[in-house]
Amino acid sequence: MSTRKVVLEVKGLSVQLQREEGPAAQILSDVALTLAQDEVIGIIGESGSGKTVLSRALVNWVRAPLRVTSGSLLYRGRDLFRLPESEMQRLRGREIAYIGSDPGSALDPTLPVGNQIVEKLCAINPSLTKSEATAQALRVLDAVRIPSPKQRFHEFPFQFSGGMMQRAMIVDALVTNPAFLVADNITQPLDVTVAAQILRLLRELQRDFNTAIIFVSSALGVVNEIADSVLVLASGKVVEEQPVRSLVAAPEHDYTRQLIRDVPRIWSDGGASGPVSAEPAGERETVLSVRDVAKFYEVRDRRRLFGRRTVQAVRGVTFDAYKGENLGIVGESGCGKSTLSRLLSHLEAPDRGQILFKGQDIAHMSSKQILALRHRFQLLLQDPYNAIPPHLNIGRTIAEALLVHGGLRRKEIDERVRSTMAEVGLPAEIHDSLPVGLSAGQRQRVNIARAMVLDPELLILDETLSALDQVEQGKLLALFERLQVRRGITYVYITHDLSMVRRVCNRIAVMYLGRIVELATNEATFFNPSHPYTRALLSAVPVIEERPYKAETYLLEGEPPDPIDIPPGCTFRTRCPFAFDRCAAEDPILLRRGPADFAACHLGDEAAAREGRSLPRVFESTR
Amino acid sequence: MIFALDFFLRRLSQGIVIVVLVALLIFTLLRVVPGDPVRIMLGPMTAPSVMEATAKKLGLRDPIPVQFGRYLLQVAHGDLGHSFIRSAQGGSTGGSRGGNTFDTENRAPVVELIRSTVPYSLLLAGLGVLFSLIIAVPIGLAAGLNSSRWPYRVALYLSAVLVSLPNVWLGVVFILIFSARTGWLPAIGYQGPSYAILPALVLAVELAPVMIRAISVSVAANLLENYVAVGQVRGLSRYRMITWHVLRNASIPLLNLLGVQIVGILLGSLFVVEYIFNYPGIGLLMINAVFQRDFPIIQAVAILACTVLVCINILVDFAATNIDRRLQY
Amino acid sequence: MASDLTIGAARPARKRSMGLGAGMLVQAWRTAEFKVGLVVFIGLMLISIFGPDLLGLSATRFDVAARFLPPMPLDGSRWPHLLGTDQLGRDLFVRSFIGLRNALVIGVTSVIGMFLVGSLVGMVAGYWSGWVSLVLMRLTDAQMSIPVIILAITILGVSRPTPASIILVLILAGWPAYARFARSATLSERRREYVKGAQILGAMDPRILFVHIAPNILPPIAFVAILDVARMMIFEAIFGFIGIGVQPPTPTFGTIIADGMKYLINAWWITTIPGLLLAISLCSINLMGGALERARNKRLQGVG
Repeated sequence: MSTRKVVLEVKGLSVQLQREEGPAAQILSDVALTLAQDEVIGIIGESGSGKTVLSRALVNWVRAPLRVTSGSLLYRGRDLFRLPESEMQRLRGREIAYIGSDPGSALDPTLPVGNQIVEKLCAINPSLTKSEATAQALRVLDAVRIPSPKQRFHEFPFQFSGGMMQRAMIVDALVTNPAFLVADNITQPLDVTVAAQILRLLRELQRDFNTAIIFVSSALGVVNEIADSVLVLASGKVVEEQPVRSLVAAPEHDYTRQLIRDVPRIWSDGGASGPVSAEPAGERETVLSVRDVAKFYEVRDRRRLFGRRTVQAVRGVTFDAYKGENLGIVGESGCGKSTLSRLLSHLEAPDRGQILFKGQDIAHMSSKQILALRHRFQLLLQDPYNAIPPHLNIGRTIAEALLVHGGLRRKEIDERVRSTMAEVGLPAEIHDSLPVGLSAGQRQRVNIARAMVLDPELLILDETLSALDQVEQGKLLALFERLQVRRGITYVYITHDLSMVRRVCNRIAVMYLGRIVELATNEATFFNPSHPYTRALLSAVPVIEERPYKAETYLLEGEPPDPIDIPPGCTFRTRCPFAFDRCAAEDPILLRRGPADFAACHLGDEAAAREGRSLPRVFESTR
Repeated sequence: MIFALDFFLRRLSQGIVIVVLVALLIFTLLRVVPGDPVRIMLGPMTAPSVMEATAKKLGLRDPIPVQFGRYLLQVAHGDLGHSFIRSAQGGSTGGSRGGNTFDTENRAPVVELIRSTVPYSLLLAGLGVLFSLIIAVPIGLAAGLNSSRWPYRVALYLSAVLVSLPNVWLGVVFILIFSARTGWLPAIGYQGPSYAILPALVLAVELAPVMIRAISVSVAANLLENYVAVGQVRGLSRYRMITWHVLRNASIPLLNLLGVQIVGILLGSLFVVEYIFNYPGIGLLMINAVFQRDFPIIQAVAILACTVLVCINILVDFAATNIDRRLQY
Repeated sequence: MASDLTIGAARPARKRSMGLGAGMLVQAWRTAEFKVGLVVFIGLMLISIFGPDLLGLSATRFDVAARFLPPMPLDGSRWPHLLGTDQLGRDLFVRSFIGLRNALVIGVTSVIGMFLVGSLVGMVAGYWSGWVSLVLMRLTDAQMSIPVIILAITILGVSRPTPASIILVLILAGWPAYARFARSATLSERRREYVKGAQILGAMDPRILFVHIAPNILPPIAFVAILDVARMMIFEAIFGFIGIGVQPPTPTFGTIIADGMKYLINAWWITTIPGLLLAISLCSINLMGGALERARNKRLQGVG
């Protein structure tokens, strides 16, 4: 045990939830931990383990219908549970800080962010004058690397991105130099590169301010990055507590072992996590061919009276998808994935370019013409709870697809519906029930059945599995495989999930700010990516394995530029650690660097030039 | 600054369109629905030829678009026309005598009629809103801040009861109780400001439930917002969160309520209440005008009401965008 | 939850276990005020159907000997005139309940009418945006600026108003509000995932509108329309009071109150008792409607 001062000591903490009917539910049982100064403790638990309740309890913020039934919360020797509310209120914000997982709603939306930080400062320290507090707030905003802090000070919460607001909340929490901080899942709503920045920031500040931190998360990889020791929480009980390195290497409890086993691996699983089969690209037919597709939106320019500005959501995307393969398209928020999926599924027409489905340009077809082709390619959406109509029964929902296209008799439709239901694993008896009682996994199967009943050749999956848990995802991926083998379907996976594309996709396209910046085979993407953005992504993903791309070399700074004000030249150069002068002048296009690998970066070109050759451009051939 | 300019330009131009549309609607409605104003003006005994001649002179036989165009031009110059029925001295014509006694040169200008009645209506409306605020704000706030306890139930039942009292009936009951039986307050007509109290109370009963509901819903919903809990964890007191943050956020939808809905209700109920109590405001003027088919007054008051509503709508929306900047985007 | 190795933010999926309409009803049923309102309302209905026959009373028969009888249990009252009689000896109990019946018929019919017309217009305006929607919305704005009373007097103030014309005027006055509700509901419903899903399947717009959107947005609007029944009944009384309502000898609240005003000092019950009955029945309707509206708001907010 270290000789550092103990800041917080929890003994025997139990919390119950009072329900409307029935007995109270036990949320936490006999939780204990000790937090020393300067220490970072991680608490890891799945959803339902009680970690959110625990994080609230640690700052004595347990409100009805939750109730602390036993235990003590000793802060510097005083039991917070026994403290009168006025005393407790004095501690909150000043010596005990808390950051939640929803940065967007943490502040009053009608007041500027800076004013609210000042408000907190003056409330905590009444002797501070307004101008002193303002100066202090500005200083700290600058310290957390929020760009143009003076301007940001007067801006409103909705003008801050998620990552920036989380920085502001960290500022708000640490500005009074609290003794300890509870961070509850603070990186979950953020993109991975932004989350990595936040974690790094937190570590720096923790060192500077000497704050003890309790970091609660559901991702072992994140906890691995930041904590010294870890508590594993399962069903309200602490099942294991160890320093983080030894926990990962040698877990003691079965639950922890299971947890570690279930964390998907990217690099250390080798061939086992590769996709089913990848025939050589040259011999297969092209099912989908996207050629220089672009889409712009107009928004009102607030700076001029009747002006308009253009948001360039998709700025020239080109790729092919071959029969029987799985193509993955990954990217963070704002990269244009969702717009692209809308274009691919003909919900909107592109402003430029072609979308060729088996040779026919569907981009500019009318609805009538499309109807005939519709049954050959389909799109599956993410949200299982809202993607199927709530007022029709299952059989009718699946039959809808056939009814829309017409031409079949009732009996035939019924047969097709039932056989499709069996094929996707839906029990026959739910044919006449409403979607009310179904689980997320079953609802997605209804979704799949609805698409399958049309016998499509191409299926676009837009985050279809993102809302499901690990186990369900596995089952559905197996289903997709079976269907692919039997019917020869081509899949395009549009997703955030790197482990899923690692496991399933033959080729992967990485999007940034409306363009594809890298398109390569599975192996190449993960083990030899050539674009700095791909490397940055891989370096920022929180994992528990040894990763080939170190954060220090590749970590990005700042936020992606606004799709309205796209800088000239390579759009990535503002954040690229390797940018050189050519990047500011010339906008790179996809260059071939391997038999099936492409990247839009001048670095590859430079490297090739040094070897005396130049890389072919993508329009020449994609095979 | 730019935003304000853009906002007002857009909204004012839309508003003008609406006002013109309403004017056209009323205009057409009056001339399409049966009921000849000339008949009422001159009395049913007059010879048809005289009626026709008068009608032509007043321009009532021209096609409707022509009449409307002429009317718009007139209004643009500030002239709202002259009453068909009322004469400048304050009396009104409409008898069974012959056409020669109808004094077409001496009809009251509508602007004057409106100007003489509007102050009374303003007094009544103002008093009504004041009374309803006195009732509604404390109850609404208490209900919103304590949404699971008894103040909420009280507000609920009180609102349901108040909104179920028809204003015609309530007016009669009030006259019975406060005037006829006890003589505390005067009831019919107007001989001093105290004559506005009873009608204002009837108005207040009608407005209060709407206010109570809006206030309690808005406050209760805002209390549930994340930032209220987070603010307290950050170190701000609950009192501060409520007074400085919740109330401000809750007031945004209330602006719309107070501005638009209340004024909308007033514009209708004012007329009825004035009629019940024979209170000489613009409502009584309007109702009588409609019965007498006095087109100029009807048109003028309708346009005035619509303009007021549109302006308040615009002002309220602008105020809302200043409190909640998200609305500007 | 999804894999830890996500690089972006996954949006959480929200659970909706039953449709909005059914859910509203169930939730409202749980509240005390809904049950109170329902019980009172049903009670009044039963009395209005069976009461007059049980007591052997008629609405229009004059009985000059029984004029100005006060309601029971005041002095001078006489069985079976529970609520007293008016200046012509007509029994007030029966007159009030018949007035209630007429008011209800007018109220319910006009609300059904404005609901149908308004919802259709609103759904069309909400689904197909563009200048059609703009024009329709400006039209509703314009019409909402005209007070109902003025509209009513203008149209009804000339000839003998019939229940049909009154209903028509009320529908005319009320449809814009429903058009607005339906339009905003359609706009937000249109963005829902399953509409996207249907479009991807290739479904055409009218199909989506009527098969998918309508069943989801109409029940909540319909339930809250109950509140408007009460409002329309009040308007009907106002019309009667001013003289443009259903004409005598059919008893309506408005005419009863207006007639009775003359006798306010001596026979106050002629004016006040029928109005009291109206107020009680409206109260029961408003309790039910209010509970439904609160249930809807709660469901939309995701609480409860």
